[in-house]
Amino acid sequence: MNQAPAALRVAGLKIRYGRREVLRGLELDIAKGEIFGLLGPNGAGKTTLIRTICGRITPAEGAITIMGRPISRQTLRRIGLVPQDIALYPHLTARENLEVFGRLSGLSRSDTEKAIAWASEAADIKARLGDRIEILSGGWKRRVNIAAAILHQPDLLILDEPTVGVDVDARNGLHDVIHELSNAGMGVLLATHDLDQAEMLCARVGFLRNGVIAPQGNPRRLIDETFKGQREIIIELRQHPTPHQANALKTSGFASSNGNLSWSMIGRDAERSARDLSEAFERAGLVTREVRFREPGLDSLFVHLSRDATVAKEGSAG
Amino acid sequence: MILAMLRVMALSLVRDRGALAMAFVLPPTIFVIFAAIFSGTSGDELRLQVALGVATPSTLTERLETALRDEPSLRLLPGTASSPEAVIRLVESGQADVGVMLAADLNATTTSPVTIFVDPGKLMAGAILSGQVQRLIGLEMPDLALSRTAPDISSIVGGFTPEQSARLAAAIEQLAANGADASGQANLVATETVGPQGGSGASVTYYAGAVAILFLLFSAMQSSATLIEERSSGIVDRVAVGPAGTDVVVLGKFLFLTLQGIIQVALIFTVAALVYRVDVVNHLGLWLLTSIAAAFAAAGLGLAVAAACTTKQQAQTISTFVVLVCSAIGGSMVPRFMMPPWLQDIGWFTPNAWTIEAYHGVLWRGEGLLDLIPELAWLIALGSIGALLALLVSRWRLRL
Repeated sequence: MNQAPAALRVAGLKIRYGRREVLRGLELDIAKGEIFGLLGPNGAGKTTLIRTICGRITPAEGAITIMGRPISRQTLRRIGLVPQDIALYPHLTARENLEVFGRLSGLSRSDTEKAIAWASEAADIKARLGDRIEILSGGWKRRVNIAAAILHQPDLLILDEPTVGVDVDARNGLHDVIHELSNAGMGVLLATHDLDQAEMLCARVGFLRNGVIAPQGNPRRLIDETFKGQREIIIELRQHPTPHQANALKTSGFASSNGNLSWSMIGRDAERSARDLSEAFERAGLVTREVRFREPGLDSLFVHLSRDATVAKEGSAG
Repeated sequence: MILAMLRVMALSLVRDRGALAMAFVLPPTIFVIFAAIFSGTSGDELRLQVALGVATPSTLTERLETALRDEPSLRLLPGTASSPEAVIRLVESGQADVGVMLAADLNATTTSPVTIFVDPGKLMAGAILSGQVQRLIGLEMPDLALSRTAPDISSIVGGFTPEQSARLAAAIEQLAANGADASGQANLVATETVGPQGGSGASVTYYAGAVAILFLLFSAMQSSATLIEERSSGIVDRVAVGPAGTDVVVLGKFLFLTLQGIIQVALIFTVAALVYRVDVVNHLGLWLLTSIAAAFAAAGLGLAVAAACTTKQQAQTISTFVVLVCSAIGGSMVPRFMMPPWLQDIGWFTPNAWTIEAYHGVLWRGEGLLDLIPELAWLIALGSIGALLALLVSRWRLRL
C-alpha cells in the first residue's frame, strides 16, 4: 500500500556549532494536515531546527525531506515560513505586501491575484486588504503575516510564535486560521511558548531538549502517561513566603511561579480536600488566597520536564 | 542618580563599536584629512601638475625651466611641449592642472614672454603658478628682471649716459653670475583661460559632478539600510525559502538605487543646465552613461556597507564615515588639485574622483566615449564589486 509522504520528515539530524552539538540525532515527522507543536525552553534549538528545515544550515548528519524529497531550492518552495516578527513592509497595504510576496514566491502575476483572493479568504483579511500594515492592530498584522506565507499554498507551514503580543480574541481568530489551513491539507510546524495554544491546536507536540525532541506525541496522551491520572494542586498565597517557608514548600514537592505567590504540585496530596490543604498551610504560617485542583496540562508537563532537566544537570555537575 | 545614568551612557558607548568609532575615530581621521587638504591649499604641501612649453630653447628658457623643475610646489610633466597648442591640449585634457609657455625671447617687452594657460575650473592654479613664476624669476634670474626693467627706466630718465649703460650692463652680468633679489617685472606673465567654452561653466560643471556623487552616496547608503530592517523583521527569512533566495532582495535594491540615483543626478544637472547653462543637452548620451555608472557605483558601495553591518545604527555610523571620507579626499568638498600629491593618489580609490573626472570630461572637455573608458570602467567595477560583496555577505548571514 502506498503511504502519502510526510509533509516533513527529519531523521537523525545533528547540528554542531563548533564543538557544541545543538541537535543530536533529532527525529520528527509531520503528516499532511497535521499540526505539530514544537515546545522547549529558550536556547533549546528551536530556531536552529527551523533554519535547518529552511535550508539555511547544513546538517552535520541526518536527512530532511519535504513531501518525500530532500531539501533543495525546489523543495524549499513547498515551505511557507511565518517568522516571529511581522515580516511585512509597514508602508505598503496588505494587498501590496501580498502582491510582493506572491511574486517573490515564484507566482506569475495572474496567479498572484488568484493566490491573494485565496489567502485573504483563508486568513480572513479581506476587509483590511487596502489598509497599510503600519495602521493595522497586532492581530490583523499577524493574520497578514500568515497570509503572506501561504500564497503559494505550501505543503509545510512553519509558524514561529504566531500569536505573540495579541489579545485573546485575536489569538482565537488566529487559531481558527491555523486550523483551517491544516484542514486544507498543510502540515503545520508550530513553534510556541504558549502551552495552552499548543494543547488546543496541536494533534501532536514535542519537547525539544538536549538536542532531541522527546517526548513527543498527542498532548493529552503525553500528559496522561506522565501524570497517570494525578491532579495538580495550585495554591495562591496572599503574602510572599519567608525563605524558611519557601524552602519547606520546595521540599514538599511544590514548585513556584509568579514571584513565589503561586505554588503548584502534582501528585500525592491531590486527594486531600482544598479545606485540608488550606488549614495545613495556615498552620505553617502561610495565608492562602485560593487553593484549587485541576487536570494537569501541557504547562504542568513543561514544568515537570524542565525540573527533570535541571535535576539531571545538577546531578551531572555534582 | 545622575552618575547611574552617566554609567549607562558610558557602558552603552563602550559596547557599541560603531558609536565608539564615530565618537573617537572619525573626528581625528576627518581632521587629518582636512588638515592635509587645507595645508595643501595654504601652499605647504601643494604640488600643482604643470605642463611646460618652450617655443625656442635658449640659455634663459633653460634656466627658467630648471628653476621650475626644482621648485617643490610644482610637478612638471615630463618632456617639454614646443607650441602653445600642445600645452593647451594637456590642460584641457586634464593631464595638467595648469600650463606655462615660455616665449623664444624672455627679454621681450612688447608681449608677455611667459603665458599661463589655465582651466576656468582651476583658476586658483593659474594664480598660484603665476606667482611662483614671478618669484622664481626674481629669485633665480634677477638679471632677466633687471634687463626687462632697464628700458622702461631709460625712457623715464631720458636715456642713460654711456658710463651708466656700461655700469648697468655690468650689474646685469653680475646678477646673472651671482643672483640677487629683485622684483618689479612688468608684463612678464600673462594668464589665459582655456577650454572649449570659456566662462564660468567649468567650475559649475565641476561642482555639479561633485555634489551629484556626494548625494548619490548619501542616498544609496540611507536606502541600503532597509536591507538591515528586512533582515531583522524576518522578511529576508521569508524570502530566503522562496525560489530566488535572498539574491532578489539585494539585486532588486541595487536596481532601485541605481534608478533613484540617475533621477537624483538628472535633477541636479537640470538645475545646472537651466541656471548655469551647463551644456548637458549636446552631451546627453555620455552624460547618461556617466550618470548610470556613478549611480551604479554608489548603489554597490551602499549595499556592501549595509550587508556588512549588523544594525541600522552601525550602518548609519559607518556610512557617514565612508561618505565624509570619500567626499573629502575624492574632491567633492575641495578640488583635488589643491591637495598634496599623496592625497590626490588616494583620492583615485574613491568613486567621487572618477565621477567628477567623468562629468568634467564629458561636459567641459567634450571627451568622447573612448576617453571616458577608464572612468566608466572604474565606476562599474566598483559597483559590481560592491553588489557582489552584498550578495555574498547576505547569503553568508543567512547561514549564521
